[in-house]
Amino acid sequence: MKIDFSINKKPVSIDVDPEMPLLWVVRDELHLKATKFGCGKAMCGACTLHVDGEVYRSCSLPVQYAAGKEVTTLEGLSTETQIHPIQQAWIEEEVPQCGYCQPGFMMAAAKLIQEIPNPSDEDIKSNISNICRCGTHPRIIKAIKRAAVIQQASKI
Amino acid sequence: MSAKANSNKRPFSRRKFLRRTAVVLGGSIVAGFLGCSPTRRYLAQTVERMDFPAIISSMKPDFWFQVLSDNSILFKSPKIEMGQNVITGLAMLAAEELEIPLERIKVEHASTSSGIIDSLGTGGSNSTLALYIPVREVAATMREMLKTAAADQWGVALSSVSAKDGVLSSGGKTMTYAEIAESTTEWKTPKTPKLKPSSAFKYVGKTVKRIDLQEKVMGTALYTIDHGRNGLLHAITLECPYLNGKIKSIDTTEAAKMPDVVKVIQEDDLVAVVAINRYAAEMAVRKIKVEWDIPKAWQQKEIIELVTVGKGRRVNVQDKGSARSILSNSKAKVFEQAYRTPMAAHAQMETYGTLAHIENDEASIVIGTQAAGMVQGQLASALGIKKDKVDVQTPYLGGGFGRKMGRNNATQAARISKIVGAPVKLIPTREQEFQNSVYRPNTHHVLKAVFDEQGELEAISHDQATPDMVMKDLGGNFALSMFGADWLSAGHGASILYPVKNRSTSIWNVEVPYPSGIWRSVGIFANTFAIESFVNELAHHTKQDPLEMRLKLLQGGDELNQRMIKVLETLKDKTDWGTKSKAGVGRSVAICNDRKTIAAAAIEVSIVDGAIKVLKVTEVIDCGIAINPGGIQQQVEGAIMMGISAALYEEITIADGKIAASNYHEYPLATLNDVPEIQVTILENAPEPFGIGEPPLGPVAPAIAGALLDLTGKALRSLPFRLDEG
Ligand code: FES
Ligand code: FES
Repeated sequence: MKIDFSINKKPVSIDVDPEMPLLWVVRDELHLKATKFGCGKAMCGACTLHVDGEVYRSCSLPVQYAAGKEVTTLEGLSTETQIHPIQQAWIEEEVPQCGYCQPGFMMAAAKLIQEIPNPSDEDIKSNISNICRCGTHPRIIKAIKRAAVIQQASKI
Repeated sequence: MSAKANSNKRPFSRRKFLRRTAVVLGGSIVAGFLGCSPTRRYLAQTVERMDFPAIISSMKPDFWFQVLSDNSILFKSPKIEMGQNVITGLAMLAAEELEIPLERIKVEHASTSSGIIDSLGTGGSNSTLALYIPVREVAATMREMLKTAAADQWGVALSSVSAKDGVLSSGGKTMTYAEIAESTTEWKTPKTPKLKPSSAFKYVGKTVKRIDLQEKVMGTALYTIDHGRNGLLHAITLECPYLNGKIKSIDTTEAAKMPDVVKVIQEDDLVAVVAINRYAAEMAVRKIKVEWDIPKAWQQKEIIELVTVGKGRRVNVQDKGSARSILSNSKAKVFEQAYRTPMAAHAQMETYGTLAHIENDEASIVIGTQAAGMVQGQLASALGIKKDKVDVQTPYLGGGFGRKMGRNNATQAARISKIVGAPVKLIPTREQEFQNSVYRPNTHHVLKAVFDEQGELEAISHDQATPDMVMKDLGGNFALSMFGADWLSAGHGASILYPVKNRSTSIWNVEVPYPSGIWRSVGIFANTFAIESFVNELAHHTKQDPLEMRLKLLQGGDELNQRMIKVLETLKDKTDWGTKSKAGVGRSVAICNDRKTIAAAAIEVSIVDGAIKVLKVTEVIDCGIAINPGGIQQQVEGAIMMGISAALYEEITIADGKIAASNYHEYPLATLNDVPEIQVTILENAPEPFGIGEPPLGPVAPAIAGALLDLTGKALRSLPFRLDEG
């Protein structure tokens, strides 16, 4: 079945089993590798991306649900000219260790600062349930707060 | 352009290098000696204090470094990056001698066909120490080669040529490294130059951002799963969820009929579905009907029972004074407690998979492993080809923690590729990663102590029952029976460090039905938990402050004990130890020594809604020379989070012959909710850089236990902590 949607602002049309998780479509059909496979059961968040601006765990989202929608992966977060506040803050706080969980965390965090422009520690803790085994959590919290500040400054 | 060294030139620095490398369990040890216990104890004590060397296949600089045409230098790291930030530290060391700005050094992992592979792999927090001198010597040699080539080309004296910021100059002449590399065909390898004194270091000691930072934030860092090949197929194997189970009957007809399936393989113990995409392979493998032959349906109780002090083979690894006889004949009451640590999974975010392409009896492998050299050997023997026909490329690792030293699926991937005649990617499912893995073994510890009439600690003993972690992998059953028990890894950190006059430690080797292996910090995790929990209980029992009691115990000890005192004194300052903790808050400390790095933590806990809450962790670490303080800080934070996770949540259990946890919902880890206030202090009280990836994990669990004891008056002696434990 042909499924049309847009990926990082570019239209695509693919012909796969409509039940195939969006994760594998993005990674293996569209060759965008930032979105990671961690658990396959919507439990770790490594595969987090946005569909029409909402956060999804793509390992558990059949591609047919993306039909006609706008999918954004980490590769589409920043523009050519403007680094996304989350990525900027991630660099400044030097968050990643092994890095494998980081794309998922950044996608979840990008949505968070959009919804809650000035999040408290509590907001961050209760809204992001992704898993990181390297223990980058303390820096993730700091980076999200820093990103919120960068975002605010860029809006003024 | 690579700088091609003339290969028949004298390999440099052999002697100095060998001095640091020739030791590990040297081949000259006569097996007959090993059976007797003093020899075993001697070895155990020697190895415990030894620096772990790097065993590297070549010292020729062109294997390590390549001058690229943009006048940057490519460093092919023999140590792999799994998050621990080793490549940044090594690049900093190289930059010191290469006389090139750090930003101009690019790093990639060496592969078995390009660059140097460390046959011991990457682990045990030894990389930076092992390479501290070699990497600088090779870099300095490279710099001298470039200078010599320039002197020859210009017809000037070598002494007139200087190297700075990637540019060579003499008189008015200048040339970049890239230009000289481009125009030189015959290279001369000089004697190993003298190294810069540490006072002249430009980078070492300053915080430098991780070299892989940009890639990992922008999403361009590549892991095994991100690699591809033309005509790549995706495979999933069928794995038995039961310990040591075998196929009784199998029917793959339905699986073979599934869409997009290329082949269903069934060849002795290898059963796999190969498909044109991952989803099809996953769907099809579920259609295989299989009945398992289960030799024994193990239950958790039996596993715990097996690992018990008094069972198995005992090896005494420490015997100072006459602790055993004092403890058994003492008229005073002996204080005795027992501790347990559970089995644990590494649960690293990237499952341990392989991309394999076998063609014309040559193997091209991509695997995010901690031990590329071992994988190469494994595949050569599995495929019956020469080692040099196996190329192992190692991309970034999505976490290692010891898991990627242990069993892998590279042989399966290679066999599948050979059968289908195409490149194949075999990435385990998370369920397979949990259930067909290698585990931190469960342990049991018995500690005893007795005080003399003055109230001084007179004797202390520690018995640890543990399965093997690495002995079998290194030398098979033979090594294990010769050495008696795995004091190298599982027993690492078992000895009592406090200079008590009479102290004794034994390790009991026990057999378990599951594969056991190393897990971040190796034996330090279990042994520090047991010993330091016991010390906290001793303090509680004798109504002493746990930190002050340690300071007292450490008096009159060796150099290591003196460093421990400094670490504890610093901890005291940083925590305002003198002021009483708030109501409803418990606090305590713990300390460990992991191959000369000393790490101590003071932890505050409370109980919130019936659950343990870690409020604050103050950690002080003395790792000798701190190469990249910012990187160390990051590792300590990570180890603290992993320590909290292991102390509060993690446990692998066995039920009806299976590993009970199949995915993260059944093996919860610490999350953002568990982040405490963290304060890290780095001390540098030794002249070499010791490891930092693992040591800071050691004190976390026992300091939490001590803090709970302080808060509730009750000692929790097994992990993970449960407040309702009887
Ligand atoms: S891979 Fe999707 S949540 Fe883990
Ligand atoms: S950085 Fe390694 S899992 Fe998060």
